[in-house]
Amino acid sequence: MSNSNLFLKSGFVRAPLQNGVGRYVCQLQRIVLKFCKSHGGSRGLRDYIEQDLVDFASNNPSVVVYLKPRRHRSPVVVAEYLNGDRVWMSMHNKTHSEITKWIEVLRTQQGDVSATRLRKYQYTDYPSVQGPWTPFTYKDPKLNVAELPDPEFGANNRLPMSATEQLKIMFEKKQLEIKPKEE
Amino acid sequence: MSAVKRVQQWATFARTWHIFDCKWQDPYESAGVIKKYLMGLHKPIYHPMNDCGDVVVCINSREIALRGDDWRQRAYFHHTGYPGGASWTLAWELHSKDPTMIIKKAVYRALKGNLQRRHTMERLLIYPGETIPDDVKQNITNQIRQIRFVPTRLDHIPEEEVQKYPKVMEYPEDYVLK
Repeated sequence: MSNSNLFLKSGFVRAPLQNGVGRYVCQLQRIVLKFCKSHGGSRGLRDYIEQDLVDFASNNPSVVVYLKPRRHRSPVVVAEYLNGDRVWMSMHNKTHSEITKWIEVLRTQQGDVSATRLRKYQYTDYPSVQGPWTPFTYKDPKLNVAELPDPEFGANNRLPMSATEQLKIMFEKKQLEIKPKEE
Repeated sequence: MSAVKRVQQWATFARTWHIFDCKWQDPYESAGVIKKYLMGLHKPIYHPMNDCGDVVVCINSREIALRGDDWRQRAYFHHTGYPGGASWTLAWELHSKDPTMIIKKAVYRALKGNLQRRHTMERLLIYPGETIPDDVKQNITNQIRQIRFVPTRLDHIPEEEVQKYPKVMEYPEDYVLK
């Protein structure tokens, strides 16, 4: 996370009211297309309005579509969502196909998605099957009654066996061999 | 959030207190280990943005062992901010003035130099000897394993064990030990 993201709203991946499970409610409520009738910057948006807008409106009866011609201003699309979000997007000098794709994005997204920083890229209702971790998971139960500090828990126990210890073990083995012979 | 979930959250993010015995340990080697516990890097829930660092209590910091000739060679730099305010203190000198300073500086150096460093250092407690205040001791639930082997001195081993120790040969009765 960089410094520029510090004031970005953070959140998790989620769908409003389990949208898409069983039924789908289009979250886009209203879309306003602002454009100029004469300037070249609005060319793509004008093409879109001419060719695709009627289809868009008839395919999405739940979306209110407004057109707002205004002289000598650059084209803009403003989308408003059920959760109250408002997305402003400049369409200046964008081609017809680009605008088709962006409007499809605005139609299918569920709010101002790009304004939140996702803390995680996945979400689950059941984060763990084996139970969440705590500091005492996988701990030696002997630690519960130990009086710390104790060299039994503090000393390094991963060192290789020293020559002295090996000799001591050899000596003890020898002693065990000698004893049965005496009996 | 239900009561069970709330308690689960407290359990997962509980701050654990660890103890580390610095006796015969290299402060610069052990700083790497202590750092992991201070930052919470040993936990599966670690994330740089969650507060999961633990408290580490270091004891016996007077008994640390520096490498090679470091007691005489290593110098600690300090500047008062005034002209001519620079001073260089040798490790043995610093250690005789404050026996907790070397391990503190070693851990401070091991941590990354960001805004969190000072707050992480607040969770490191260092004591020169064996004694710890009772309010600290009652929190300790875990011990960090040392890196180096700590040998036992011959006069600290009980007399019986020394007698039982296997010998290659006995000295003759009339042998005079130097």
